[in-house]
Amino acid sequence: MLAVDARDLLKTFRSGWFGRRRTAALRGATLQVPRGAIFGLLGPNGAGKTTLLSILATVLLPDGGSASVLGHDVVREPFAVRRRLNMASGNASFVWSLRPAEVLAFYGRLYGLSGSRLRQRVEELIERCELGPHRKTEYNELSTGLKQRLAFAKALINEPDVLFLDEPTLGLDPDVSIRIRAQVAELRRERGTTIILTTHYMREAEELCDTIAFIKGGRILAQGSADELKRRVRIGDVIALRLDPGPPENLEELPGILHLAARGETTECTVDSSDKRLPEILRWLHEQGVLVRDCQVREPELEEVFVELAR
Amino acid sequence: MSSLAEGLGGEMVRTWAFAHRNIIMARRNVFFLFELTFWPGVAMLSHGLLTRFLHLTPQMTAFILVGTVSLSAIQVCQLDVAYAVLFDIWSKSMKHQFLAPIRIHHLAIGSWLVGVARGLVVFALMAWIGTRAFGFDFVGAGLANLLLFLLGCFLTALAVGVFVCALVLLFGTRAETSAWAAVNFVVMLAGVYYPVSVLPGWVATISAGIPITYFLAGVRAGYGFPSPFAHPFVTGFALVFLYVVLAHWALAAAITRSRRSGLLLKLSE
Repeated sequence: MLAVDARDLLKTFRSGWFGRRRTAALRGATLQVPRGAIFGLLGPNGAGKTTLLSILATVLLPDGGSASVLGHDVVREPFAVRRRLNMASGNASFVWSLRPAEVLAFYGRLYGLSGSRLRQRVEELIERCELGPHRKTEYNELSTGLKQRLAFAKALINEPDVLFLDEPTLGLDPDVSIRIRAQVAELRRERGTTIILTTHYMREAEELCDTIAFIKGGRILAQGSADELKRRVRIGDVIALRLDPGPPENLEELPGILHLAARGETTECTVDSSDKRLPEILRWLHEQGVLVRDCQVREPELEEVFVELAR
Repeated sequence: MSSLAEGLGGEMVRTWAFAHRNIIMARRNVFFLFELTFWPGVAMLSHGLLTRFLHLTPQMTAFILVGTVSLSAIQVCQLDVAYAVLFDIWSKSMKHQFLAPIRIHHLAIGSWLVGVARGLVVFALMAWIGTRAFGFDFVGAGLANLLLFLLGCFLTALAVGVFVCALVLLFGTRAETSAWAAVNFVVMLAGVYYPVSVLPGWVATISAGIPITYFLAGVRAGYGFPSPFAHPFVTGFALVFLYVVLAHWALAAAITRSRRSGLLLKLSE
């Protein structure tokens, strides 16, 4: 069963006098996310990630297409969607004078929590997100990392079945990012929460997400697991060689070599398939009398796939 | 039955969320104390001194000071209603509020209840200053008249506050100043320090459509100024309920428009 089903979503923002300047943010974005999945949405700035999430979260209305969350249409049944969904963003902000527990209690009440149930939930989240020592600190005086943790805690206040995380680790120290990533993984493990996250950190996407979609210009360009995407994009494997006395001049002309680059003492050959080309290259180098001092093969990074797709 | 109770409980909890937030903000921010004491105190003192300078009769003094009280009470109360949206605009947290399953009446009534409480504090302070400094009898119009007048003022504040929320959601932060300007404009047209009969004809027509005109006329009748309207309180309440409904509709339309235009998101960035 699908947690999120978005089809051909369109959104154009208008600005300037009488809305004459138009910016197409989504141009037919289609996305299906199964229940219980962690789904990564990657794309360059302005690709439409936040627009897409905002439509699914019912805070933005689409111009066309359709979208449902847990079977509820986001335009016709926004209240049914809102009860079961929540969202945290990297640039989240809350009312300046409220303390962490007050922020959580305010939003908890908006979801209908009260009395001991509310107090218990707030305490759970304060503990879970390690906000206890900052209980008396007003929001304005919290550090960026603590604000981010509070935003994450607020997003869990209603125990959502679907959680949107819009760049949840943006600008955070590595240790805070690691903790937030651990919490995300734990949420899915413990509650089966469906999570859609946008991020600029490829390692984060690769570590957390079952499925990744690349969005650019308001369209989903590719979707699959990290490994599937690497294979599909075919940007090639890299064979890094340390050669003595250096690479022969006509190395680049060998079949299957897509690109050659020198990095210090190392020569990096990007090839269509390392399994096929490595033996051929080593054999040819041996015939040329070139000594191979070191040889490493690596698959393309997700980052390289991103760059290729974003190009 | 239990689902009805749960539903009602949920309604009250969501409403209380906004009331509680306004209470916390009022407790922690010094400028809220200014709203509550400084400006109403200054208004009462300056207008009271003016009535002395002009050697006004106690009856005329009551006419003027009733206007002073209405302006301050409505101003403070409607600001609280507007804060339901303004706090989120100033803190850029607007989308989180509308991401939750809330409805307009939760934010409007929750914040209005705190506005009523703060408006009553303003009234008490002004009554105390007026009585001690200028011998003004605040219950001189009769307790029932006074209570109806205050209720009318607070309901007017609800309508104005919700309209201000709608303006802010339509035009963004540019419309913030309307939160402070709106009441002054409305009350000026309603004959705050003068009878509406002194207004030019076409302005008097406009003032006939403003509820506070009738509440002022109703309470002033208790001080011996004959009301130009047959049933001022009945007309005032009928009008104010109409405006509350219209304001609710306007805010609903403004929210939908800001969801369509993306302003709701811009106000959160």
